[in-house]
Amino acid sequence: MTSEDDAPRLTLPPGVRFAAVGAEFIRGIAAATGIEARLAERMALIAEEVLAASPATAVAVTLALRDRRHAVRLDVVFASAELDLAGLDQSRDRDVEDAAGVGLYLAARLADHLTTEPAGRGGLRLGFDLARAYPARAVPAPPDGLGMPVGTPVDPDDATLALLVDWAEAKGAGGPAFRTAARVLDQRAAGDLFARVALDARRRPVGGLFWQPFGRRLMALAGPALLLPEGPARKALVEALLDSALAGLVRGTVQGLVVLEAAPGMKRADFEVVGHLPDAQGGHPVLFRALEEDPGGITWVAPELRDWVAGMVRRLALGRDIEASPPPARASGAAMAAETDRAAGRVTLRPLLAAADAAEVAEANVALFRGQGFSQMRALLDLGRPEHAGFAQGLLRAGLAPAALIPDAAGDLLLLAATA
Amino acid sequence: MNGFALDRLVPAHVRAFEAYVPSPPDDVLRRRFGIAHLHRLNNNENPLGPPAACREILARWDPRDAALYPQGDGWHLRRALAARFGLDAEQVILGNGANEVIAFVIKAFCEPGDNIVTADRTFAVYEWLASFSGVAPRLVPLRDDGFDDAALLRAIDARTRLLFLCNPNNPTGSWWDHARLARFLDAVDGRCIVVADEAYAEFAEDPDFPDSFALMARHPNLVVFRTFSKMWGLAGLRIGWMAAAPEVAATVRKTSISYSVNLLALEAARAAVWDVEHIAATRAHVGAARARLGALAGRLGLKMVGAIGNFAMLHLPVADTVVHRRLMARGVMARAMTSFRYPGWLRVSFGSDEAMEAFAGALEVVLAEA
Ligand SMILES: Cc1ncc(COP(=O)(O)O)c(C=O)c1O
Repeated sequence: MTSEDDAPRLTLPPGVRFAAVGAEFIRGIAAATGIEARLAERMALIAEEVLAASPATAVAVTLALRDRRHAVRLDVVFASAELDLAGLDQSRDRDVEDAAGVGLYLAARLADHLTTEPAGRGGLRLGFDLARAYPARAVPAPPDGLGMPVGTPVDPDDATLALLVDWAEAKGAGGPAFRTAARVLDQRAAGDLFARVALDARRRPVGGLFWQPFGRRLMALAGPALLLPEGPARKALVEALLDSALAGLVRGTVQGLVVLEAAPGMKRADFEVVGHLPDAQGGHPVLFRALEEDPGGITWVAPELRDWVAGMVRRLALGRDIEASPPPARASGAAMAAETDRAAGRVTLRPLLAAADAAEVAEANVALFRGQGFSQMRALLDLGRPEHAGFAQGLLRAGLAPAALIPDAAGDLLLLAATA
Repeated sequence: MNGFALDRLVPAHVRAFEAYVPSPPDDVLRRRFGIAHLHRLNNNENPLGPPAACREILARWDPRDAALYPQGDGWHLRRALAARFGLDAEQVILGNGANEVIAFVIKAFCEPGDNIVTADRTFAVYEWLASFSGVAPRLVPLRDDGFDDAALLRAIDARTRLLFLCNPNNPTGSWWDHARLARFLDAVDGRCIVVADEAYAEFAEDPDFPDSFALMARHPNLVVFRTFSKMWGLAGLRIGWMAAAPEVAATVRKTSISYSVNLLALEAARAAVWDVEHIAATRAHVGAARARLGALAGRLGLKMVGAIGNFAMLHLPVADTVVHRRLMARGVMARAMTSFRYPGWLRVSFGSDEAMEAFAGALEVVLAEA
């Protein structure tokens, strides 16, 4: 959703001279498209900081602002990927004199969510997201006597989806994804959430399942939200929801479904346990369901993780060549991106740029977020990328431990976790 | 190079499409899964191999002929097939596997914005070829594991160019008889081309199985696909064919690729036409394997589906993609059916007795572990 649309964009030379121009552009677009001033001002600041900090090697920097409904997104595309991204890494202890570095550092701190991905022709795209706030409201409780599910679950219209979320929220069903109907509708409209909802004979929602993008080729499953009482109808409902989600997802780009926090009622036999995440109760399983056959692949690991990964590969019967990672080409400048969930006290780190100092950078990131009061530390490493292994060493030193191996023949995901 | 923006040159329907990745060669799979031997029961191949006459052609083949182009449109083979089925040779078109023939037909009849109609749970290639050609696949849910005539008819609209009926259906083995296909063609009433993909027709022993070549005379919008990959044991040589009414065939010929079928395939296929002893031997093997698989399914309490074809599906109590991997680790490759929209099902081809035994043993262990 980030490249091929017609959001207004502006391309500028890198560097501080044009930073104010970029910021004004963002303010102008925000005013023209009705983005509220609070978000617009923060985005303008991010644009200004990024432009000011962008190195001359960037050749050209393109800004695009889009309203993604549940979030506002600023995309900054650098024509060249040969950039020093260390400034984006929140853990970098900045020398105040190093103005450029501080700029990117600030930009990263201002965003709720930062993503990076390659852009066309060897470029790099940074995506800064600011989440919209939704006013709290009282939700209606589901009526008594919802009926048996009838027919196959549907991709619901907005009214049905909103009703499901309201009722799930009122009942405390389904987990955090099934809260705040307005946000869920916006997430779906932005292509960040997909839903299947089962209906009773009067076309009222009786249960639902959501999924959201997770990494390159996976979806994270949320739910099920079940509004029927325990019993055979509820069991059939769970089965029907998953079957229709699977049928809707196959033969496309999605390789598998991950469940990080299963809601009660999820049928375990339809999944495999690929690890455990620590929690206050001593841990809960991470579930996985592959959509496609796994023909085997290569998994790159740091020596410290080899035994753990080899054990998981055996336990899950994965066909993997387990290879030792070669050292990264860059000597320094490793960086990680952080996705924070302040309400849950959780931060998830991902490698942004690999270099020989990856281990130190990873350690510093964990220390930084611990210092800021985050209690749940997680990290996701793509074992299909040989250059990411170095981060693992630092994460282990900082007290994270491997928690789950999420299979993907094109690059298994290693989830590491620690609780403070 | 600064002016090359690949995305600008790629149509949206190609950009949106994920390339099909075939499974790696056996040596790579054996290494990755740590196994000494791999039984492939995933591609519906014939464990008996090609008929004797084909083997002889292959054994006698002069490698120096590899330097020569084949005849460009299978002159002799088309005549042999036409004679066998009471057709004119011009009604027969060959392809590099039936898969290529699917592409010829879509190219001949569809342009971006058109649609094809087929089932949601059938051979995937119709859906894929349409999708990356900018043609919308309209997928009609199966009813009781078979093609649903009424729903298919409802799905046809003014932009429908082709309707693909997989008969017998891969993966369910369900099938329409002659009367049902005839009624369906009456109801379609020429609004679109109806393709009957009969890749597994030679496995059908029931006399009510359609004589589609006869129906073609009354329904010039009927196209029939056949292949030498299944019954005839020539999957590795890649040769399939179609037959259609003369004016339809003449249209498809425009988008067919001359010289795409290789010399060995043409000669081997010609030698195979129409070895009834080979058919009988293969059917006997399939019948015995089906009975043994049925007994295994009964013992393990698994539902089995599959009437015609050299394969059947089993319903598992656990995720099929997990069982697929665990079977791989025991040297057996079956097909996980989630990607056919049959989550929890496994399709297994009727391979050699040895392979079927290996499958049975491995499945029992894997399910006991689950
Ligand atoms: C129904 C069906 N049609 C066509 C084909 C393709 O056959 P070929 O090997 O001739 O390309 C297959 C192969 O599995 C099939 O199952």
